[in-house]
Amino acid sequence: MIRRRLADTVAILVAVVTVFPIYWMVLSALKPTGEIQSADPRPWTLNPTLDHFRSALGVSGFGRYFLNSLTVALAVVVLSALLSFLAAVALTRFRFRSRTTILVMFLVAQMVPVEALSIPLFFQIRDLGRAVPGVGLNTLGSLVLVQLAFSLPFAIWMLRGFVAAIPAELEEAATVDGASRFTILWRILFPLVAPGLAATSVFSFIIAWNDFLFAKTFIISATERQTLPAALLVFFKPDENDWGGIMAASTLMTLPVLIFFIFVRRRLVSGLGGAVKD
Amino acid sequence: MRKPLTLTALVALALGLGACAPSTEQPTDGTDAKTGTLRVWLFDEANRAAKEAVVKEAVAEFTANRPEVKVDVSYLATETRSEKYKGALNDPASAPDVAEVGNTDLAGLVAANGMADVTEDMAKWSEAGDLPKDLVKTVTVGDKAYGVPWWIGVRALYYRTDVFTDLGLRPPTSYAELVDAAKKVRAARKDMVGITVGGQYTFGAMPFIWDAGGDIATSSGGRYTATIDSPASKAGITAYTNLFSDDICPAKQCVDLTGGGTVETFAAGRAGMGILGNFSRSAVEAGAVKGKYAVVPLPGAKPGSIAPAFAGGSSLGVFRSATHRSLAVEFMQLLAGKKYGIKLYDAMGFVPAMKSARDEVTAKEPFLKPFIDTMDAGTRFVPVDKAWTTIDAEKIVPNLLQKVITRRATVDAAAADANNQITAAFAK
Amino acid sequence: MRRSATIRRQRLTPLWLLLPALVVLVPMFAYPLYQLGLLSLFDYGQPQVSGGVPARFVGLGNFRALFGDQVFWSVLGQTVVFAAGCVVVTLAVGAALAMLLTRVGRVARTVLSFAALAAWAAPAMTGSVVWLFLFDSNLGLVNEVLGLPGYNWLYERSVAFALVGAVVVWHSFPFVMITLYAGIQAIPESVREAAALDGAGAFTTFRRIIVPMLRPLITIVVIQSIIWDFKVFTQIYVMTRGGGIAGQNMVLNVYAYQKAFASSQYGLGSAIGVVMTVILLVVTLFYLRALRRSGEAL
Repeated sequence: MIRRRLADTVAILVAVVTVFPIYWMVLSALKPTGEIQSADPRPWTLNPTLDHFRSALGVSGFGRYFLNSLTVALAVVVLSALLSFLAAVALTRFRFRSRTTILVMFLVAQMVPVEALSIPLFFQIRDLGRAVPGVGLNTLGSLVLVQLAFSLPFAIWMLRGFVAAIPAELEEAATVDGASRFTILWRILFPLVAPGLAATSVFSFIIAWNDFLFAKTFIISATERQTLPAALLVFFKPDENDWGGIMAASTLMTLPVLIFFIFVRRRLVSGLGGAVKD
Repeated sequence: MRKPLTLTALVALALGLGACAPSTEQPTDGTDAKTGTLRVWLFDEANRAAKEAVVKEAVAEFTANRPEVKVDVSYLATETRSEKYKGALNDPASAPDVAEVGNTDLAGLVAANGMADVTEDMAKWSEAGDLPKDLVKTVTVGDKAYGVPWWIGVRALYYRTDVFTDLGLRPPTSYAELVDAAKKVRAARKDMVGITVGGQYTFGAMPFIWDAGGDIATSSGGRYTATIDSPASKAGITAYTNLFSDDICPAKQCVDLTGGGTVETFAAGRAGMGILGNFSRSAVEAGAVKGKYAVVPLPGAKPGSIAPAFAGGSSLGVFRSATHRSLAVEFMQLLAGKKYGIKLYDAMGFVPAMKSARDEVTAKEPFLKPFIDTMDAGTRFVPVDKAWTTIDAEKIVPNLLQKVITRRATVDAAAADANNQITAAFAK
Repeated sequence: MRRSATIRRQRLTPLWLLLPALVVLVPMFAYPLYQLGLLSLFDYGQPQVSGGVPARFVGLGNFRALFGDQVFWSVLGQTVVFAAGCVVVTLAVGAALAMLLTRVGRVARTVLSFAALAAWAAPAMTGSVVWLFLFDSNLGLVNEVLGLPGYNWLYERSVAFALVGAVVVWHSFPFVMITLYAGIQAIPESVREAAALDGAGAFTTFRRIIVPMLRPLITIVVIQSIIWDFKVFTQIYVMTRGGGIAGQNMVLNVYAYQKAFASSQYGLGSAIGVVMTVILLVVTLFYLRALRRSGEAL
């Protein structure tokens, strides 16, 4: 009992330390400027103000940018879940010649520095846009496409473990019962890997939501298609140190991810465990 | 288990040179449509609304007698502007007609064939004669003009009037007096640095180097030669880095400050002096030292002289792939002209490039006097060459300063190193 | 590996299943990757991209320039040490907390996992800025609490690396912790109880029971940590203002950015990208080989 209590205390202490920077971020966003710049910082404030949030939300077109970001992130989450599920099934339930090669390629894909790829990708997107409308430069489609490409390798790699954890007997039994391949995939396998999908979708969501490299590279002249992080960069001015504004902008950027996390948390914890029984 | 794809195979794939070379876009000259939408890119600012109001007024004037023309203005965040420019270069369809360009960025854009040559248009413009020669140089590459200087910012010496009065000090008029005053402030006020300087503050250091007769590079016949290791440059570097001593601005505290960091330090009341721009005034006013400071030109080594300041600011230019070339030039000239220069000053505090406009705003605002004096004494600029982008990105000057300040290298060694790097940048 | 006998017979099925992913990945990844290799052999900058200047084939010139640069080698060494440190600490912290989670009550578990999720959710950019603010020499809470007014955490190379490393660990331990905890949960209760009955302590249980059973999961966690930490960019770039005092905290990715992308030397930048990829690949393949020797397969 004492050991349990000690463990509890340690866990809570670690939690406090871990969450403290987040608390400090929100707190500083709520502090009036005078208190932020005081040389005597205090871990509370008696005069909370929404001024910093007001100026961050006052970035003209905030709502629009927020929607753009959300659209891109959700589209990437959904598409990446579907595509990585199919690919993961192919890579776990089948043995074929280039299987290992493909797996290693997925790893390699994650090793390339993103900045290095942004140049060739720019031309790819530009040329693609000339052939297929809707995915060229200055479109949200281009962001979805690129973010999808960047989240897929990791999603497939993770999801493989989840698919492998599902006993093959289930599918065999279904086949005996005369179920079609389609049914097996969508009615049997898909629901079973749902927790795993929750886990991988967290990653896809983060990749898509936090991106500003591609947003600022691809969205050139169409300001109305800007995404939120790229718009909030205004506040991260190295030379002005407007800490209140930076903290408010940071809070606004972090919140949606946090909400998405809480949304999938249960599935996340049970889901990640599925990757065990490879 | 099959062997994973071997390394050799991967390298072979990566290096697998097909017949094709990387994509190179031929520069496209724009067209000269007289109707439609004129696309304009300007910089976003912290208080954009004020700038937007001025620009809207200019747009209204511009479209009043051109009913078939619309002007679409978008505001670029400072952080993403280089990507936007690159995007506009690489995808001419996304390019603007008129763009605001940081004056140090212009040469790189010209080298990338992005800007239209407006030499003739400028020659025909009635207001062109009103532009100071040193500023015209910032938009001139070779012997061609690629834009109009719009507004400028220069730095001068801010000092604490209350502290100076308490200690019986007078604003310094030479480098020796500056050092002396800084030491006295530091000795009397333990929580203050004598003068706030930064190891990453290139444009704080350059006046000392220029004043000593040195420079980053000198040009002759359109070619630049690195001169940061000349005896004069080294004397200037020594003068600046000597300020990072425990009895002025301790290295530990000051070595990693940027220009913005020095503004913050001065505004918070932790420095007796600072080398800040006229554009930093609002930040200082918002801080603890409101009403307790004054400004004089940054003194040079010779008593009574003014150290040359860097002519910061931005210019307006026309993109080469602009689709409305004539309209673009007309709008650029309208916005850069005296009338809107003064309006922009009233809204934002940006000092107009035009001489007559400059005189007018100085008459209105005594605060500007030391800055205008500095400008009149002659401003200097970075090399107008695409190599500046590299020199800046690789932080060659800050690294040089920081090596000397932290005593990781002697001035000779660090300057020689930087000189080689700068030479290499020009050679590319 | 279990197999589904029925599906296996359909030889083309895996292709159909992979096809949608490949449709995205081939044009968006494989081809740009090929372009990257190609670019690394050219002198290719902004004047070449848009100025109509022909790209000049320089063979291995970019690589030669890179390998001939002393700074590159010191940055490389520094990056390897820093990344290795981050990986080891992240894994140690993550694993220790995962074990802790199995031994605490519901409330403590919920609190800790929420805190970890919050750290995980914070984008690298915002996390770095917040930590920087906490450790600011004048306005920071840490100096205030420690009574070190004006102490500059970025002055000494090792202190600065330690601070940035702490932020990297803060951002990445939740992934390790939650993944391993979930893995432990999936180990049958009976196995864990048996270990406890034998009187095994937390560390022994972890080493004898959990590590072997979770090997596939640990493999993923290790490889991902190596990849992520070797490529660390934002934390260094934001916190040390682009590589630290006189470049003392430079890591490879920031170096590549400064040397190549910020000044549009795409050929050189691509060469650095290729080198980084090859290094990571070699490290990963070594790790996978070591695993295979101990009986694990990819």
